[in-house]
Amino acid sequence: MSLEFLNAFKFMKQKSFLHNLDPRAKLLLSVVYTVIALLFIQIIPLFFIFLSLIPLVLLGKIFKQWIKSIRGLSFLVLFIIILNTWFISLSFALAMVLRIYIMVSAFSIFFLTVDPNDLALSLISMKLPYEFAFSFSLAFRFVPTIANEAQNILDAQQSRGYEMQKKGLINQVKNLFPLLIPLIINSIKRAFYVAEALESRAFGSRKERTYYYSIKYSLKDYIFTFYLLVLLTFIIFIRVQINSMPDFLIWSLPV
Amino acid sequence: MINDVPLIMIREVGYEYPNGTKALKNINLNIFKGELIGIMGKNGAGKTSLIRTLNGLIRPNYGNIYIQNENIMTKSIATLSKMVGIIFQNPFHQLFANTVEEEIKFSLKSLNLSKEEIQKKIDEILFKFDLNKYRTRSPLNLSGGESKKLAVASIICRDPKILVFDEPTLGQDAKEIEFFINLINKEREKGKTIIIITHNIEFAYEYLPRTILMADGHIIGDGPTNQLLNNEFLIEQASLISPQVRQLSLAMQQLSLQPQNDINSKNDMINYLRNLIKSKSSKIQEDNF
Repeated sequence: MSLEFLNAFKFMKQKSFLHNLDPRAKLLLSVVYTVIALLFIQIIPLFFIFLSLIPLVLLGKIFKQWIKSIRGLSFLVLFIIILNTWFISLSFALAMVLRIYIMVSAFSIFFLTVDPNDLALSLISMKLPYEFAFSFSLAFRFVPTIANEAQNILDAQQSRGYEMQKKGLINQVKNLFPLLIPLIINSIKRAFYVAEALESRAFGSRKERTYYYSIKYSLKDYIFTFYLLVLLTFIIFIRVQINSMPDFLIWSLPV
Repeated sequence: MINDVPLIMIREVGYEYPNGTKALKNINLNIFKGELIGIMGKNGAGKTSLIRTLNGLIRPNYGNIYIQNENIMTKSIATLSKMVGIIFQNPFHQLFANTVEEEIKFSLKSLNLSKEEIQKKIDEILFKFDLNKYRTRSPLNLSGGESKKLAVASIICRDPKILVFDEPTLGQDAKEIEFFINLINKEREKGKTIIIITHNIEFAYEYLPRTILMADGHIIGDGPTNQLLNNEFLIEQASLISPQVRQLSLAMQQLSLQPQNDINSKNDMINYLRNLIKSKSSKIQEDNF
């Protein structure tokens, strides 16, 4: 088993249009796409919204990692399709899958292109207390560390005969304990070590702080924000007027 | 003790991580039954990747690995873990059970033993590792040294033919290292093959008969530890420093105090210095007369 999926949310420094954007603009992108994904339950509009994300992925040069995050959802997607088709319909199931893909893609774009340090700065600029902003960016920074640790734990347990695949749901859940317990305990321990390391460097001794780096909303950020707001308004308009829109927009499968 | 047919044969093995890092490049290696062998090199040299190929945690991109003349490339980790027991650096990556006893039981479960056999093995191993007093304690409340002991015990109880230790002396006090040395000696007497990854040069120089030096995914040296660690060029290549005994003997050579080149351990040096002091003091006494 590989836990490579978590790497799909790991920031990689590179030069691209998306990487150069202000983190706040990218946060707005994630929020806007999440909102518009929640506005529809029809397949066609959701599909177009999903398609509109692909140029952004290409602009950010993150296609490979984005595909990994999409692939990593396979199990969840299967679960959604089975349950929703069983209780409601296949059309609804597909719409829900598209919804999940849009939201994950939007956040994947955000995490892949935002430097954790810039993230803290952008949260502070949104008047969030420094302690919260720092904790958030720290949690974000530890995702790949925890993924790495999970892989090491899995290796250590497999070296003494542990097998991932077991029959039966209860056995499968029970089988997660040898992985989850060391992972949780090590994470808690690490949190204490990090806290001690921060305190030993006088974290929080002064309320007022100065920052080594600063972030600034530039012209391209304003243009991108404008684009997102226009998109949001346009989509809301379509949602409100959906009944007077061409029929193909509300097309659904017969099942 | 050592037979002619290698127990482990590694042939032209190479491995590249998904992120593009080439960890192993054309590795060829023979390890014989009953050998005690060290693997040294700087961080990122490929040491851990190499041992991970032995129980299938890493599947090489090319090349073959044979254990007891059988190609292991298609064997499952579960099957290989019965033959090759790897003890990783951090014991807290594996300890999870409620009690020390259950921790050992977990390792034995996959061996298809009867309840009585499992209980017998648990009693034996806890006694052997002096962990009986902690039997009902949570493994998470043990000290660093005791938890490392438990991690080792949980692999040794499975009785694998090949034991692989990743940095066993790291963070251990002198007594714990002594316990570990006794343990590997006992396991060797039983015919086990032992592979140890270590950065501890003094430990390797003193206790490991054979060492493999790695750098940048290649094996750059393979032979008797003393010979390798006395070789300035290889030491430099593997980013190591000379053992203290070697440094002292070189310094003494510069003072023309130690002409012979056969000092290969702490004991050799102690004996040499003892004889030197004796001869000097008797010379002083003679001069005084």
